[in-house]
Amino acid sequence: MAEDYKGSRVLLVEDEETLAVGLEYNLIEEGYIVIWAKNGREAIDFFAKEKFDLIILDIMLPYVNGFEVAEIVRKADPQIPILMLTAKTESGDKVKGLEKGADDYLTKPFHLQELLLRVNGMLKRKSWYKSSSEKQPVFKFGDNEINFETLNCLHGEEEIRLTPQEAMLLKYLVERNGEIVSRKELLENVWHLNPDIETRTVDIFIARLRKYFEPDPANPVYFKSIRGAGYMFEEK
Amino acid sequence: MRGKHSLFYHILIFIIAQLVWLLLLGIWIYWYVSNYIVFEKVGDQVSPQLIYDVQNALPFILGLILLIGLSFTTSLIFRHLNVQLRLTELYDNFIGNVTHELKSPLSSIQLYLETLKQRDVPLEKRKEFIDMMMKDADRLQDLINSILEISAQEKKKLFQDYRVVQADLIVKDLLKESFEKFRVAKENYRISGEAPCEIVADRDAMKIVFDNLVDNAVKYSVQQVQIIVSLSCISKKVTIIFSDLGIGVAAKEQKKIFNKFYRIYNKEIPNVKGTGLGLYRVKEIIKAHDGKITVLSEGEGKGTTFKLELPAYGAMSERQLKKFLNNEKLRGV
Repeated sequence: MAEDYKGSRVLLVEDEETLAVGLEYNLIEEGYIVIWAKNGREAIDFFAKEKFDLIILDIMLPYVNGFEVAEIVRKADPQIPILMLTAKTESGDKVKGLEKGADDYLTKPFHLQELLLRVNGMLKRKSWYKSSSEKQPVFKFGDNEINFETLNCLHGEEEIRLTPQEAMLLKYLVERNGEIVSRKELLENVWHLNPDIETRTVDIFIARLRKYFEPDPANPVYFKSIRGAGYMFEEK
Repeated sequence: MRGKHSLFYHILIFIIAQLVWLLLLGIWIYWYVSNYIVFEKVGDQVSPQLIYDVQNALPFILGLILLIGLSFTTSLIFRHLNVQLRLTELYDNFIGNVTHELKSPLSSIQLYLETLKQRDVPLEKRKEFIDMMMKDADRLQDLINSILEISAQEKKKLFQDYRVVQADLIVKDLLKESFEKFRVAKENYRISGEAPCEIVADRDAMKIVFDNLVDNAVKYSVQQVQIIVSLSCISKKVTIIFSDLGIGVAAKEQKKIFNKFYRIYNKEIPNVKGTGLGLYRVKEIIKAHDGKITVLSEGEGKGTTFKLELPAYGAMSERQLKKFLNNEKLRGV
C-alpha cells in the first residue's frame, strides 16, 4: 500500500507507550522510518534536528501539548502534513487542531486500516503538491503573486501567508485553469473527505481565497461560482 | 469557559434580583408612609373605635418580613446554585478525564488485535503485544475499580480485610511493588528508618495508597523522579514520610488536593493524566484505618511531602479494637 512512500520519515508523538509501540510496529511494517517522541518537548527537539515527511501527533502530551507542537512545527515548515491523533472528541478541539495547523484528525479508538490510509493519503498529497510546486513554484495572476513553496503571497503590496490547505486548494484550481471543478471533486481530492458529507468547507475556503486575491470579493473575477456545477478559476 | 460564563450570568441575575428587591422594599415603604394618613382617615370613618397603632403597623411589618424573606431565599438559592455549578464543572472535568483514560488503553488493545488479525506477526512480537494488551487491560480494570469502589468506600462497605501486620514489612513490600509498577528505578528512591511495630491494615487498601502516592510523584516530576520515604514508630503511632522533588503544591491548594475530583494544574507540566480521585481515595483509606494524612510543601517547584500516621496496634483503644476486631479475620502475621 505504501509502496511509493517507503522510506518516508514519520515523527510519531505519543506518550502512551503501549499505543506508540503498536503504531511504530505497523508504520515500520508499511515501510516508513519511524522516530518516536514521548512528549511535546522531545517532539520539538526531534523536529529541530531532523527532517520528517509526516507527523502523527497526540494532543494530551506532557510538558508541551499537541496544539503548541503543531503551532511551532507549522511556523517552521508550512507544508509538512500533521495528523492529529487524540482521545478528545469535542468538535472544538478538532477545530482548534485544524486551526493550529493540523491537516487531518483521527479520534481514538481508531481502526488501523483507517490510520494507514490517512497517512498514505497525506504523503500522497504532499508528494503531489511538492512535485507540482517544483515545476511552477511561483504563480502570478492579476496583481497577485503566489509562492507555492513558502506559501507567502502578495496581493498588490499586501503580504499574505496561506495555510497548507488553502495552498493546496489554490494549486488544484490553478492547475485546472478555465475548467469547472465540482465541490465533490475538491472534497475528494483536496480534503480526502467523503463527498457525500454535507459540508460548507469548500465554500468557506473559496471565500477565503476571494478575500485574499480578488479585487472585489463580492464580485469575483478569478474564483467564479458556476451555479449547480461548482467553481472555476480563470486567469484573466 | 462555559462554567465561567454560567457563573457570570448567575452573579448578574443575583445582583438584578437584589436590586429588584431593594426597589420593591423602597416602593413598599414609600407607599406605606404616603398612604398612612389616608388609612387613618378611612379607618376613622369606617370604624372610629379601631386602635390604629397596632393594626396599621402589622401589614407594614408583615410586608417587611416578606421582602426580607424573599431576599434571604434568593441568597440561599444563589448559594446552592453556585455549589451546584462548581460540582457540575468538576463532574464535567471528571467525565472528560475518565473518557480519555478509558479511550487510550482501549485504542491500544484495538490496535494490537487488528494488527494480529491483519498481519503475520512473528511469535516474539506476538508475546510482546499480548503483554501490552494485558497491561492495558489492567489499566482499564484499575480505572473502573477506582470509580466503582468510591461509592462503596464512602458507604464504608469496602476494605474490611483488616489484619495485624508488621508495619515495617507491609510498608516496604507495598512501596517496592509500587516502585516496580510505575517503573521507578532503584537509584531514584530511598527508604530509610524502621517501624518495628504492628498496625492494623487492609493490604489491598494500603496498596492503593502507595500506588497513588508513587504514581503522583512520577506524574508530577519535571525532571527524573526522586522519592525519599522514611519510617518510624514513635509515641504509639507509625509515621510514614513520603517526599518527592516534584512540582510541589501551592499553599492555597494544599487543603483542596484531597477533595474528590480536584486536580492541580501547573504550567510546567500541563496535561497530567488522571481522574482526580487518587488522593481522595488515599485520604478515605487512611481515615478508615483511624489514621491521618497531611501534605506539606514549601510551594510550587519545591517538592511535596505526605505525612501518614497510623495507630500502632498495641496502643489501640477498646473502641478501635472493636471496630477492627469486628470481623474475625483480625489475626497476627
